[in-house]
Amino acid sequence: MMELLAQTGLNAVYAASYISLVAVGLVLIFGVMGVVNFAHGELFMAGAYAVVALYADMHLPFFVAVPIGMLFVGMLGLLMEWGLFRPLKDNPLGGLVASIGFLMILQSLAVMGFGVRMEHIPPVTQEVWRITDKVGVPVARLYVIVAAVVLLSALWYFLKRTRFGWALRASAQDPEAAALQGISITQTARIAMFIGAALAGVAGALTAPLVSVNPHMGHSVIVTAFIVIIVGGVGSLEGAIVASVVYAFVHTFVTTFSDGVLADIVGLSLMLVVLIVKPTGLFGSADRA
Amino acid sequence: MTDFLEMRGLTMRFGGLMAVDGLSFKVAHGSIHGLIGPNGAGKTTTFNMMSGFYTPTSGQILLRGEDISGLAMHEVARRGVVRTFQHSTLFAELTVLENALVGTHMPFRPNIFAAIVGWDREDRRGAEARAREALEFFGLSDLVEERAGDLSHGHQRALGLAVAYASHPDVMLLDEPFTGMNPEETRQMMELMRRLKADGITILLVEHDMQAIMGLCDTITCMSFGKFLAEGGPAEIRHHPAVIEAYLGGARHVA
Amino acid sequence: MLKPLMFLFGAVALIALPHGLSFSQQEILVFLVINILLVTSYRLLTLTGEWSLGHVVIMGVGAYASALLTKELGVAVPVAMFLGGITSALLAVLLSFPLFRMKGFYFLIGSFAAGEIIRLIWKRFREPFGGVRGISGIDPMPDFSLGFYSFDFFEPVSYYYFAGVIVLACLWVLWRIEKSPVGLTFHAVHWQDKLAQASGVNLRAYRTLAFAIASGFAGIAGALQAHYVGTVNPNSFDIEVMVFVLTWAIVGGTTTFYGPILGCVLLTVINEIVLRGMGFEQARPLIYGAIMILSILFLPNGLESIVQKFLPRRSTAKSDRKAEA
Repeated sequence: MMELLAQTGLNAVYAASYISLVAVGLVLIFGVMGVVNFAHGELFMAGAYAVVALYADMHLPFFVAVPIGMLFVGMLGLLMEWGLFRPLKDNPLGGLVASIGFLMILQSLAVMGFGVRMEHIPPVTQEVWRITDKVGVPVARLYVIVAAVVLLSALWYFLKRTRFGWALRASAQDPEAAALQGISITQTARIAMFIGAALAGVAGALTAPLVSVNPHMGHSVIVTAFIVIIVGGVGSLEGAIVASVVYAFVHTFVTTFSDGVLADIVGLSLMLVVLIVKPTGLFGSADRA
Repeated sequence: MTDFLEMRGLTMRFGGLMAVDGLSFKVAHGSIHGLIGPNGAGKTTTFNMMSGFYTPTSGQILLRGEDISGLAMHEVARRGVVRTFQHSTLFAELTVLENALVGTHMPFRPNIFAAIVGWDREDRRGAEARAREALEFFGLSDLVEERAGDLSHGHQRALGLAVAYASHPDVMLLDEPFTGMNPEETRQMMELMRRLKADGITILLVEHDMQAIMGLCDTITCMSFGKFLAEGGPAEIRHHPAVIEAYLGGARHVA
Repeated sequence: MLKPLMFLFGAVALIALPHGLSFSQQEILVFLVINILLVTSYRLLTLTGEWSLGHVVIMGVGAYASALLTKELGVAVPVAMFLGGITSALLAVLLSFPLFRMKGFYFLIGSFAAGEIIRLIWKRFREPFGGVRGISGIDPMPDFSLGFYSFDFFEPVSYYYFAGVIVLACLWVLWRIEKSPVGLTFHAVHWQDKLAQASGVNLRAYRTLAFAIASGFAGIAGALQAHYVGTVNPNSFDIEVMVFVLTWAIVGGTTTFYGPILGCVLLTVINEIVLRGMGFEQARPLIYGAIMILSILFLPNGLESIVQKFLPRRSTAKSDRKAEA
């Protein structure tokens, strides 16, 4: 029993890792640009398909495919910023609807390019990092955990310690005041969109060999990301990370000890309860509401 | 006999800040009552408590002896106490007539089933008559089909009053009605308020500018730093040492 | 004098319409009629300023309720359809307690979550909802004859007439509501909720009322669909369908009654007849997505804003002006 608990805990850590990569990107985009990116799950999907194309089909090394995929999805983010969110910056509902349109385009491109069937991706490594005889983490999952820790720490450093990061946070808090201080809103929006999309892309790329890659995989990703950012407080990066961990543990344990659908219901109910009791989320500040 | 409208020990605390502290005063039926005070005296907070926008931390607001503090805004309105808003808060997308029709919501409560079947013709006619009456009262009859957002500033203010008036209120709470008006507009607005009073409506107005309401009010209550300071007729308040001190002191703080 | 003639002409056109179409086009026509009711009911909700992402699931509630009532309790189909609408409306009242604590973006996400929970409940509980595969073998509408016309519900044309009459009746009710003082109050709640409240309007009650009415008619649309298709399952009411509804409303525009209908008809024609006919089967979502983006970028007030330019301006219609602003 102890072993099962420990193993489930490790599985949850893995889930928390990729969920937080996706959710932090979504929060960053919302914080800086004030727009809900419904296509975020499809950016994750695009990252996964980059690995399908480069690693599975073209036989490039996995660790070459992942950064290329990350950059590619980052560029998709720039495209969205330029084509959708900048022209619609005074129309938040419009931005949301446009991102839904973009989602359909990406999904449809994936169907046309790769077919609707699940992709088979050869495993990167079969190794398992053993902690005890019965408890261990597959190394492929370990990559995801390490990547999340490294990338999120780097993002934290970037936001808190560099001038760009300072500008980003300033324009998230008060765009007008930031503009008066000479911060280019367009520039910060571009950076936020690139980073946010790239984080989703790398999460998709790294998990591609571990999950079933298909054109509709974005749906459950975006649902999860929404739950996490609401529970954590929209606009709070720390909240998103903590909520990712909470959600991953709840979901993984309910899935292991009951079933996946019930876990989804529990997750969504968690979000509804937070919305009702404290709409600003566990870490949200009141003025964001 | 119970008093018409009475504040009793009204207190509002925001966190550590005491915005209004044990305020008590009475408003006589059919009078124009001014609530004045320097910036930050707690006038607007008091106003917001009276209109149901805030729930007082403690204290009571008694309307004909009934405690209405803490009721929702629409509940307060349904008891005959109707507020207006600072600036030009209107249904900008709707026409002038439609704005006034929303004001008739209380006397002519819409009924969805009657509306579908068409049994509410009487009510609709009555509501429209009342709305036109209110618009005429405020000299807006020629503008009924205009979009409210397109009106001039002065007309928007008048429409704001017309929407409130259309509901047959007993008390109208006016939030800084003279702000941003030139002397001519101010004069016209004062005339409208006298006519409202002649119509039997009690008026409570909150004003920062002491001079603007001196010629209008029957009674003036002055507050300072959340507390009751003085009360009396215009002449009395104008020469009240505490009031002069508060305004000068306040002015020094502001400057 | 002109008006009755126009109505007569419109009625003849609607009656004659299916006879010039192929069988599969007739089937699409039935769905189009049902979707017109769905999107028009959605617009009633947007009148109060709230955009929901749960409307299609609420439609599904009507479909499931009507299917179960006929299957498990043997209720007659038309009665079950009506009760399906009632079920949706009642559920909306229930959902309004948590959801109307939120506004704007939070309401959007909250309604999405509520909808997903309902869908997951259908999936999880095989009894009575049939799990992932849903309910099949739903009773069709029983055939009947009016003397001059016999309804044979294996024919899409018959179901088109049947659904058409119901939908027209529902649209009439929705139209009456919007043009009534109740509709004016919905507008008031949308544009200045504080001022509406100061005029004695109970905001919660009116927002709930709009939500319940919109949901009730969505439920009827769902029931109409269930008894035509014969099956319901959780995936026929997923977010993708919601996206279609949202697109119709936005491409058409929501300031007028006819805007969403216009969007629904035009996009359905493009989607089903032009694209499918031209063999762009797989690219349809792509083109749909592109239309959505282009219309929000270049036609933010919807198709209705084009129509309004050609219509004589009526002084009482409140909505005409937004396009000009």
